[in-house]
Amino acid sequence: MKANLLRALAPLLMLLPCGPAPAQMDGPPRERGGYGRHGPSDPARPNEAAPYLRDLFPSTYKPLPRADTLIVHATILDGAGHRIDDGQILLHDGKVAAIGHELDGKGARQIDAHGRWVTPGIIDVHSHDGTYVVPLTAADANASDVSEMSDPNAAGTWIESAVNPQDPAFAKALASGVTTLQILPGSSPIFGGRSVILHPIPATTMQAMKMPGAPWGMKMACGENPKGTDVEKGRGPTSRQGEIQFIRQAFAKARHYMHEWDEYLTGKEDDDPPTDDPQLDTLAAVLNGDIAVQMHCYRSDEMATMLDLSHAIGFRIAAFHHAVEAYKIAPLLAANQVCAAVWSDWWGFKMEALDAIRENAAFVDAAPGGCAMMHSDSPVLGQRLNVEAGKAAAAGRRAGLSLPPEHVIAWVTANPAKAMGIADRVGSLEPGKDADAVIWSADPFSVYAHADIVFVDGAIAFDRSDPARQPRPDFEIGRAPEPRR
Amino acid sequence: MIRLAAACLFAVLAQAAAAEPLAIVHARAFPIASAPVEDATILIDNGHILSVAAHGAVPGGARVIDAAGRMVTPGLVNPATQLGLAEVAEASDTVDHSVDAGPLGPAFDIAPAINPNSTLIPVARADGLTRAMIYPGAAATAPFSGAGATIRLVPQGDIVERRRAAIFAAVGDAGLAKAGGSRAAQWALLRNALDEARRYAARKTPGPRDQLLNHLDAEALAPVLTGTVPLAIRADRESDIREALRLAADQHIRIVLMSGAEAWRVAAPLAAAHVPVILDAELNLPVTFDAVGARLDNAALLAKAGVTIAFSVSGNGIYLSYDAGLAMRGGAGLAVANGLPYADALKAVTLAPARIWGMAGGLLAPGADADIVIWDGDPLEPSSAPATMLIAGKPVSLATRQSALAARYAPARTNDPMPPAYR
Repeated sequence: MKANLLRALAPLLMLLPCGPAPAQMDGPPRERGGYGRHGPSDPARPNEAAPYLRDLFPSTYKPLPRADTLIVHATILDGAGHRIDDGQILLHDGKVAAIGHELDGKGARQIDAHGRWVTPGIIDVHSHDGTYVVPLTAADANASDVSEMSDPNAAGTWIESAVNPQDPAFAKALASGVTTLQILPGSSPIFGGRSVILHPIPATTMQAMKMPGAPWGMKMACGENPKGTDVEKGRGPTSRQGEIQFIRQAFAKARHYMHEWDEYLTGKEDDDPPTDDPQLDTLAAVLNGDIAVQMHCYRSDEMATMLDLSHAIGFRIAAFHHAVEAYKIAPLLAANQVCAAVWSDWWGFKMEALDAIRENAAFVDAAPGGCAMMHSDSPVLGQRLNVEAGKAAAAGRRAGLSLPPEHVIAWVTANPAKAMGIADRVGSLEPGKDADAVIWSADPFSVYAHADIVFVDGAIAFDRSDPARQPRPDFEIGRAPEPRR
Repeated sequence: MIRLAAACLFAVLAQAAAAEPLAIVHARAFPIASAPVEDATILIDNGHILSVAAHGAVPGGARVIDAAGRMVTPGLVNPATQLGLAEVAEASDTVDHSVDAGPLGPAFDIAPAINPNSTLIPVARADGLTRAMIYPGAAATAPFSGAGATIRLVPQGDIVERRRAAIFAAVGDAGLAKAGGSRAAQWALLRNALDEARRYAARKTPGPRDQLLNHLDAEALAPVLTGTVPLAIRADRESDIREALRLAADQHIRIVLMSGAEAWRVAAPLAAAHVPVILDAELNLPVTFDAVGARLDNAALLAKAGVTIAFSVSGNGIYLSYDAGLAMRGGAGLAVANGLPYADALKAVTLAPARIWGMAGGLLAPGADADIVIWDGDPLEPSSAPATMLIAGKPVSLATRQSALAARYAPARTNDPMPPAYR
């Protein structure tokens, strides 16, 4: 029933497309190296580097005050495929110190999780929180921050520069066990721009939520959304084939830009450095392999086309998002080591979504090496990714697949961490990894489960029984007489 | 009326001719209006339930279905969905739930547009849904949306049970522009419409003061004025909910509140006025300024105050048409997680919506329609699903287009020599 409003918004999310600006041919072979983070190997200008990965808005995130913690008597799903009954986990200095039984937790605060479950913090690989800010008003309908609409190539935009940290959705995500999310631009442009990875711990600035050292992703979109927007706006490709041409042209231009930087940095050109171009910086970082593509694609044939294109041009697709037909090409996705971000049961709302099945995640997962993920796209669904995984797994079990909880939890933890390029730090509860964890009141895949305590970097960022650890955004202050749940 | 009665008679005869005596044994039966019955035997004949009794005997000749201790409930009833009115939401030529031009307000009757062959309907049925109110999205005349119809998800034949079973209106932020830009205008137009319709009903012709409502809309509102059908008002903000209660009292009409994000602030008056609330169990964000007070325990607070509740879950608008069974029961589960007693939640997806709209169904009791679900788990867990379903006493297929696709692309078939199109 929020029908009218939320229906109006739907086009901003899964319905949105994207698009870029032209160049020439596909250019040099795909393994061509660039300077990336470290600059040229034999620099003639050792104090300079290509600007592709310059961080204009550095993280100022600091973990909340914390104490070493030993959780005992928990049913632990570690995100790495293991289940530990009556298990213990020790959080020390913001890291997972140990996991198992009979740990030495001397000096640590002890939490009895008898009857409760512990998992890694939930990771939402596809969120628009902070840019699709509630309450939505007529002003948002006129000009939303979800997508930059002036050009089908918005590769030069950084969604982090739009994130409003006061979006009430962040606190709700945190209270639902989410400890990390990737904010993606929308799918109206073909190249949507850079994503950003945040902790949903409400702060006064985006920088204070930004996960230190996390890589950017680049959003791309194929299919109905970009071409639909371009027709509407009277600019850019109006067909699927036009989108492909547009992508080739954009990357060819980026190759040329990289060549210019190459020449300049190696001293082959003594002129001034090339003019910094935000759009080409992002595309160059993609070609260099420093930024992976997060690709909005519904149909199996479009995903296959994009995979071929990525090989021809030399960029890496980390994941297909809204991959409604991923199940039709599960072995192909697995062979290419590309993850699929899917919903449990959203379907039918557009032609691309007609062939949705609830077994989608399970079938993707069933291919050897398959990588399935649940994603939200919505601040409502973003509070129930655990239940989404439960629903999707149940459909797989009814289809005869073996999907134990310790395996399925990866769909909302380890797999999104992998697709986002942060699996070395989060997504599983293994010694040395960030102490992002959730104590659930019950089986985390149950609709009845609550996130009782949510740890981020070892600190309690949310505690259902402690109002002092329940962040409230500024919007709510002085407005609702009772704390809302 | 005569045509309606004839249609009902036909339906009864059709069921009687086709149904066979059935017994569901070893059921954990939830009759809804009374306490659960363990190890129940449910006897069914002629499309209706004969009895629900613990360890009841099975008469000779009855076909037996063993529920093996699983939960058995009446078929679910969705109180507000657009199932059958939209096939592909973004393809406007496949969508019939709304009009934004033309002369129709309450006279926008969506019943003729309901498509019984929609692929959405088997999906809803396979999630346990057996009845629903199909309601209009928007009409051209502010603040009305049109007239809804009730359906029964029978596998063949006419699914529409009752046309114009309620008139719908929406006040608040969503439709301000249509009323000129203010909710105050929405209320003025709504009150005037009822006044004009009342004068029209008395005179059968528009009078000199009746200039806004055309005769179609005036006639469509007549059953609301006589109390034959309720006026459903969608509103979220507390002030609008209080205004709706004032309107109902002034006009002596029955109303149903839809959405009601801030209904918990008006719980006692709603209970006192016997106004049911159909709410979105997932709503806990201030998605608009009308819903600043949204909270997940809205259902629990309303039920505690004695308000009849039911659930319609939007899911970004998707669930209004798609997944009309699953989204509703999952929403009820979420309400339980936030304080609603389980029995109230089960009632809110069965008997409560049936009663709100004057539908049959929603009961597992002698004399009730034998629309029955045997679940493979707890129906309020969205990971559960029906194992067996009966409608009008007959087992129905749980196959959907989705299940056909899943079978075609099952992982076990990956290495089939022939491509999927040949499977």
